[in-house]
Amino acid sequence: MSEGLNYKFLIDTFFVALSGVPVALLVTIVSLLIAIPLAFSLALTRIYRVPFIQRLTQLYVSFVRGTPIIIQIFIVYSSVPLLLTALFKKYHINVDVYNIHPIWYAFIVFSFSTTAVLIEVFRSALSTVSKGQLEAAHSVGLTTFQAYRRIIIPQALVVALPNICTATINLIKATSLGYAMSLQEITLKAKVAANVGYNYVEAYLDIFIVYLILCSVVEYGFKLYEKHLRKYKLANA
Amino acid sequence: MEKYFDVSYIWQTLPILLPFLKVTFMIAGLSILLGSFFGLFLAIAKLSNSKIARTLANGYTTIMRCTPSIVLLFLVYYGVPAVAENFGINLHDIDTAIFVVVTFTLQFAAIMSEVIRSSYGAIDKGQYEAAVSIGLTPFQAYRRIIFPQALVVALPNLGNSMIALLQEGALAYTIGLIDVVGKANLIIASNINAHALEIFIALAIIYWILSLIIEKVFSILEKFFSKGKKTLEST
Repeated sequence: MSEGLNYKFLIDTFFVALSGVPVALLVTIVSLLIAIPLAFSLALTRIYRVPFIQRLTQLYVSFVRGTPIIIQIFIVYSSVPLLLTALFKKYHINVDVYNIHPIWYAFIVFSFSTTAVLIEVFRSALSTVSKGQLEAAHSVGLTTFQAYRRIIIPQALVVALPNICTATINLIKATSLGYAMSLQEITLKAKVAANVGYNYVEAYLDIFIVYLILCSVVEYGFKLYEKHLRKYKLANA
Repeated sequence: MEKYFDVSYIWQTLPILLPFLKVTFMIAGLSILLGSFFGLFLAIAKLSNSKIARTLANGYTTIMRCTPSIVLLFLVYYGVPAVAENFGINLHDIDTAIFVVVTFTLQFAAIMSEVIRSSYGAIDKGQYEAAVSIGLTPFQAYRRIIFPQALVVALPNLGNSMIALLQEGALAYTIGLIDVVGKANLIIASNINAHALEIFIALAIIYWILSLIIEKVFSILEKFFSKGKKTLEST
């Protein structure tokens, strides 16, 4: 290993790692699509203090915040197949659980954890909008749904966006743990390529660069969107 | 017999896992200590007038924020010995714990620098000027006026960062460190993968309780330090 970096391998593996980006992005996007509506409704239960669900939501958030994602992955990855086999046996469905594509587990784990993060994000963002806004909207004849869609959410979104950006970046980073579920994403692909010739330093450099590019692009995108939203807000003020 | 879920297994493994928390704590503690030091320097660089220092510090933070811990962990684990070898130093035999500490120090420093910077930014500049105007030296002003106030602002973030660090620390098993997670995986391997779920649940419980404790401690600390603030304001 003392002969320095293997540049040919470095460049080749870069494209191998790059080919894992679609999977990482797919997991991120699907998880966000599941998590955002779910988190928003659960955040509302916290804000309106819905008796039982509120407590449950609190417990759920505290659990996800309190345990490492890798352990959540372990738990889901070892419990869901057990549950499914039991379920399939009961209803005589002939599906082999161990042939399910790992990406489904990834969707479950990452939407599970992102929902918890986003609940807190939405809750704090919604609480920055004053109650008078909702009352004013009601007084001009908007329904509660309309008031949320047109008055409350646009204002809360501006506040929430930086946190949503952080959550998204963390999610992209967390998909690197998909290797524990043998999900073929950036990290695993490059690592497998490195296994052949023990070129781990090069492989991890590549993974590092790919994540750096990916996250910078996402961060930049969010910044543009935030600017756009703020402009909108100013124009209306 | 992996089809059977046995709750008693959770309680059986807890006493085996708990002694290994020592390793987890040591790693987290050292990383927090060193990371805070390094983070302080980064924060100073970010607040300094030198454009180069600012760009470097901000660039470092961005890079760290964009890198998954597991990637950084392996990069340090494989990269540092490889670099050291070029200088004729053999680092292949040193303890993996050192690599883990290095990794999380690097990462925590980036987080810490943002925590320090934002809490410093929250303190009105007039406080420093007022302190200097009544004859305190700049060092005294920082120690007695700025720091106590910035600390209160920083505490919630500090608590969150520590919880985050503790959780990222769970990944250290990937490079072969035997902490709680590593030990859990060893137990599972020696059981031929039986009862893996119960052991993972035991792990989750340990981490959950730890983070609840940290949260509680920080909320008490916050209350304690804010109390001083209120009496100052009311007088």
